[in-house]
Amino acid sequence: MFLFLYLLLAPLLHQKLAAGITFDPPQSTISGTITDINGLPLGGVTIRVQSTNRGTISDMDGTYSIQAGPNDLLVFSIVGFRTLEVPNDGRNTINVQMEEDVTQLGEVILNAGYYTVSEKERTGSIATIKSEIMEKQPVANPLAAMQGHLSGVNIVQNTGVPGGSFSVEVRGRNFLNGVTDPLYIVDGVPYGSQSLAAPRVSTEIIGDISPLNAINPNDIESIEVLKDADATAIYGSRGANGVVLITTKKGKAGKTRFDAHLSTTLSGVSNFLDLMNSQQYLEIRREGIDNDGLTPLLENPALDGFWPDITVWDNNRYTDWQKELIGGTAYRQNAQLSISGGNELTQFLVSGGYLKETTVFPGDANYRKASLNSNLTHRSNNGKFKINFSSSYTREDNRLPGADFTQQAYSLEPNAPALFDEEGNLNWENNTWDNPLAALEEEFVAATNTIISNATLSYAVAPNLELKSSLGFTRYRLDSYVTNPNTARNPGLGLTPQNFSNLTTNASERESWIVEPQLNWKKHWDRLSLDVLVGTTFQQESSNQIVLRGRGFPNNGLIKNLAAAQSLEIFSTSDADYRYSALFGRINLKLYDRYILNLTGRRDGSSRFGPGRQFGNFGAVGLAWIFSRETLFKESSFLSHGKLRGSYGITGSDNIGDYRYLDTYNVSGESYAGTTLLEPSGIFNPQFGWEANRKLEAALELGFFNDRVFLNTSWYRNRSSNQLVGIPLAATTGFSQLTGNFDAVVENTGFEVDLRTVNVRSKQFEWSTTLNLTVPKNKLVEFDDLESSTFANRYVIGEPLTIVKLYNALGVNPETGIYEFEDYDGDGEVSNPGDLEWIEDLAPKWYGGMGNTFTLGNLSLDVFFQFKKQRAYNAVRFDATPGFRGNVPVALLDRWQQPGDIATYQRSSSGFTTVEDLGGRQQSSNAAVSDASFLRLRNIALNYKLPTMENRLDINVYLQGQNLWTLTNYYGPDPEQPSSTRLPPLRQLTLGLQISF
Amino acid sequence: MKKIDKTTYHKRTAIKSFVRNPILSRPYQIIILQCMLLLGCTEFVEVDPPQNILIAETVFEDPATVESTMANLYYNMREQGMVSGNFGLTPTLGIYADELDYYGFNVDLAQFYNHNIIAINNRVELWWNQAYSLIYGANAIIEGVESSKALSSSERNRFKGEALFIRSYMHSQLVGLFGDVPYIKTTDYEENNRVSRLPESAVYDNIIVDLEEAVGLLEGQEPVTSNRVIPDAYTAKALLARIHLYVGDWEQAVSYATDLIANFQLEMDLDRVFLKASPETIWQLQADDQFPINTSEGGTLTIELVPGQTYALTEELLSSFEENDLRYEEWTEPISDRDNTITFYYPHKYKADYNETESLEYSILFRLAEQYLIRAEARARLGNLIGAANDLNQIRERAGLTATQANTQTELLEAILKERQLELFTEQGHRWFDLKRTGNAGTILDDIKPNWNETNLLLPIPESQLELNPNLLPQNVGY
Repeated sequence: MFLFLYLLLAPLLHQKLAAGITFDPPQSTISGTITDINGLPLGGVTIRVQSTNRGTISDMDGTYSIQAGPNDLLVFSIVGFRTLEVPNDGRNTINVQMEEDVTQLGEVILNAGYYTVSEKERTGSIATIKSEIMEKQPVANPLAAMQGHLSGVNIVQNTGVPGGSFSVEVRGRNFLNGVTDPLYIVDGVPYGSQSLAAPRVSTEIIGDISPLNAINPNDIESIEVLKDADATAIYGSRGANGVVLITTKKGKAGKTRFDAHLSTTLSGVSNFLDLMNSQQYLEIRREGIDNDGLTPLLENPALDGFWPDITVWDNNRYTDWQKELIGGTAYRQNAQLSISGGNELTQFLVSGGYLKETTVFPGDANYRKASLNSNLTHRSNNGKFKINFSSSYTREDNRLPGADFTQQAYSLEPNAPALFDEEGNLNWENNTWDNPLAALEEEFVAATNTIISNATLSYAVAPNLELKSSLGFTRYRLDSYVTNPNTARNPGLGLTPQNFSNLTTNASERESWIVEPQLNWKKHWDRLSLDVLVGTTFQQESSNQIVLRGRGFPNNGLIKNLAAAQSLEIFSTSDADYRYSALFGRINLKLYDRYILNLTGRRDGSSRFGPGRQFGNFGAVGLAWIFSRETLFKESSFLSHGKLRGSYGITGSDNIGDYRYLDTYNVSGESYAGTTLLEPSGIFNPQFGWEANRKLEAALELGFFNDRVFLNTSWYRNRSSNQLVGIPLAATTGFSQLTGNFDAVVENTGFEVDLRTVNVRSKQFEWSTTLNLTVPKNKLVEFDDLESSTFANRYVIGEPLTIVKLYNALGVNPETGIYEFEDYDGDGEVSNPGDLEWIEDLAPKWYGGMGNTFTLGNLSLDVFFQFKKQRAYNAVRFDATPGFRGNVPVALLDRWQQPGDIATYQRSSSGFTTVEDLGGRQQSSNAAVSDASFLRLRNIALNYKLPTMENRLDINVYLQGQNLWTLTNYYGPDPEQPSSTRLPPLRQLTLGLQISF
Repeated sequence: MKKIDKTTYHKRTAIKSFVRNPILSRPYQIIILQCMLLLGCTEFVEVDPPQNILIAETVFEDPATVESTMANLYYNMREQGMVSGNFGLTPTLGIYADELDYYGFNVDLAQFYNHNIIAINNRVELWWNQAYSLIYGANAIIEGVESSKALSSSERNRFKGEALFIRSYMHSQLVGLFGDVPYIKTTDYEENNRVSRLPESAVYDNIIVDLEEAVGLLEGQEPVTSNRVIPDAYTAKALLARIHLYVGDWEQAVSYATDLIANFQLEMDLDRVFLKASPETIWQLQADDQFPINTSEGGTLTIELVPGQTYALTEELLSSFEENDLRYEEWTEPISDRDNTITFYYPHKYKADYNETESLEYSILFRLAEQYLIRAEARARLGNLIGAANDLNQIRERAGLTATQANTQTELLEAILKERQLELFTEQGHRWFDLKRTGNAGTILDDIKPNWNETNLLLPIPESQLELNPNLLPQNVGY
């Protein structure tokens, strides 16, 4: 460790020695004004003198002055414009006009993690989304802002409840164990994306809690998603599911800049189901009871408990429960203030944000988030020493009801009683129903505190050699609880605070640090340039969790005080350390400016494997040929960029959880006769090793008309093998499986297209378009002994992992009025598993997005559509037999009533028959899967920039909408996330103001 | 860094070529190498086990943690498999035999009720899997305490004795249900994954050896709890009495039953036999003190509402009770629909309601009445007809019945079998095992189970298990 510290400090010591006297050529002051093509002054342009590395920044009025020698070359650069190199030629005044870079392509520098690469010269597949696009979307989680914008990246929002999680798949599902999370890296620090939520606390309302909520989208400069082997192999064992790099904003040199954002968002559920009214509902209820021959029993008051909706409640009452329970408007207020600036050597940025969001549910639930983000960059006078420090702290406080009201909104009887009685208390209608608002008596609170900080120090040891180290630390703490007081239960049950009220708490924490010393050596020759990087990583992550329940409180006022509980149970505790170390390297060789070879490699060690199995080797080869730089095309006027690139390599995954190779006993949280249980956690297998993922990619990039039309098409084939899964064992071993590597191969192939065009470009009006399309295909290629494995009913060789096996619904028999299914195995009975032979794939067939940006003077309009072709479970999955208690879609009115009827739904039933209800099979049949393709206006943003005033006050006013309109013929709540229990993603409208000066 | 795994991939091109790169001066290579060596990669990626999980070896270094692994077995017996609970033998073999009628919708149970079980029946598979899972747990404890140096010999004996008891008890259930089964004595999964079935008689031999060893280890140990929720030497003897009766070793059966009869006493009030403090209980599983706080047997079999019944006592059983049998009064309960058009009876041995504030009843697995009937039967077989009648009358008297009229060996054996039916109904499938071992199953079930076949005496080995371990073939006849 001392040597390591020495290495870190060495640059500082060395710097003093290096600061000797150098001979400077005679210098004179050069000044000038920089303008854009329209003659407007350009501030913030970096002017650098090539020989001395001295630099300055132009003022807001475009003026600058700098010391330079007569033969110096001045380099003018700013993001969004073509870099200009102007020889001094002994002048004293140099006025330049900078040309806007149409697609910004040439200067776009992509973050590839350990190195950066220019968009034009990259050999790997990197998708990126910049702050300009994220800022236009009124969302609280960066993943939401990425939805639809990146090819090969499929993101699905799991719930419309604030603070909820997203599922992310980069180029499909690779592993049988279902883990698809990519590796997230925030400013160089790996950030654990796995939720620490405890099911016992949060399942009812929110499910998983996404740690990425802690990252304020407004603080993000760019997000890069690394997809192919060339880009991900340097992340070795954690690159298999892709890598998401999040870079936060940095300060820019120039005048101190104040930037304030204020916005208000209104959101609501975008689509309601067409449910039955009381009359329709009671009609099929009665019909069902009659069909089952139970009508006489309706007269029997002792059985009222079976059908209070018919016999007890007011049959003429009607409540639109969707409107009542999920029909509210959620408000979000967002305020953000940032201050940035600095001089040429030191830049800073400090930003603070506050967000408050309410829900569409009744009650005063809300989600609050406060964040503070800061960044400091400095380089020494001689440019040899650099330091960058960034840190962010976020506090989230999510207060929600104990349960998501969505399921109740879809299924409560339309004639169910009033929520409140005359005195304003919860109405229990003589104990004949469970009042849904009782969930408001339960309180769910999730408070998180997140710190992410990173420091990067570098020192140029020699002109071409840089020593660098990145040091990072993250801490994520989640404290959540849910209260369950007796008042949330029917008072008829006779529950009291003493015998019922309970509190379940989850205290979880994850902390990690990383140290990554690196050496980077660059050399340019005439025809050859070489860039070599070598580094090592040491990382540790510790996480712990304790889930407790206290039961029995003297009164409900004390329910949040565990100390007041009569009994305390420990549901689970966990405590895990994960360590990780690696040696990695990259060699990038560029010949004649157009042939590029990129070699990356990594040797990884992970504590998740047993002794002798900890290390694995990963690597990739990437090649690119920029053929547009060949002499043949040099003269070409229309082809401005042409590149062929390809890569092949191996990445891996250690996504199996910690300590699985040890022979261990777990505390289950239960007890017998006062003794806490210890259960064997499985069969000891120290033998398992890394999962491997071999990625192959070929791509063609074309730019036409000065890159005004830019097309990127790529094809990939990723094969994952050595799958870590449970290998089935005979029960006589005591267990059903053993964690081990399994000879199963999953293949993801796909085709991605990204197109950017500038359609119209004039002084006043500009119109540009982006389009991305992904056509993925997933296939289980190989699986030894699938038939006899525990996966026999889930997977089929040659089919995707995302399939479901279903019955083949043959419709309703016109004579009997009952559903019929195909008897595949011909045994005369429709049964599982023999007849679950219909295969449906629930993965998208293709997906993508299309955005258009129109700029007219100070007015700009962005319209972004997301589209997806897919099939999904529809509402039949939830309701297939009419007549059961609980409301259903009006579609179920099309039911069989008498012999000869041709109907979609089978005859009504009370749900109390002695014969099996075949509706259950219909729900597991292909009738429950249908087209769920959609075209969604995901985002529309209208921005008006007020003319710049005398005092250089920039004011932007904007109106943004998210998820405003959807074209789909999907039968169900929302095609994005088919669920009858979770709140669908909301429609949002935002009005905002941005002031900068 | 020297431990390079040969089986992983040798794609180290980038690193190798870097190190060999002549452009880089030597000092930098050395620095990097030193860095790697000093920080010690291999050591770096080895972590200490966490505090909430225990490494197997440490579990057996402390009697408290061994106690916890034992508790896990009892908990699983209560909750998950054949021993007790909703999925237990009691309701399932009740409908397989002539004790209960089945009105529910479960396909697996319908197969039991209709005697058309197929080899993929989930209940059968659950029983098989859970029994061997418990056996694994028992073997892990046996192996663990044998190699432990931290336990006192008394502790080691008790834990090993209990574990041997559990191992033999689970095997005794398996052999009763499936006939020839593997007898698992190790935790070695490679061996157990390929194990073959042992003939029924050899399984019983193993059970007896284990139980005798358990008695030796447990004899003289202080009871762990006061309410008989942990098996002890008496429990092992009670099972020995039962097993000897099953295999026809009458003297041994008499001897073990006598030992128990000398040390326990019958609860004379029928109403109190199934309370947790009943003096005739030899071993019971303590109910959950959270929910349900009383037995799941009571919860499963009690009919709350008609229609809505799942199980109900059969006409065959109800009509077997003699006039004045107090057990009919005390241990069965009628319930009718609103119009009194139909009446069902359900077992009312366990009476406590789910919503009690404390546990009143536990799930009883061994009780003294069975031992009286074991001794009666064994004595009758040995020709001690007076002794047999005495034992039988103990049970009859408590039920408010007169002394038995049977006076030949055949009559007595018949009377004892009937008494077992009425005394032990809906308790862990006693009725089914009695019908099976006495050869009466055919005569009795032929009338009420249209699909009856002699091959139904044994359940099928779960099909999935035959696929996973072909050494278990052949399947039992008839499946």
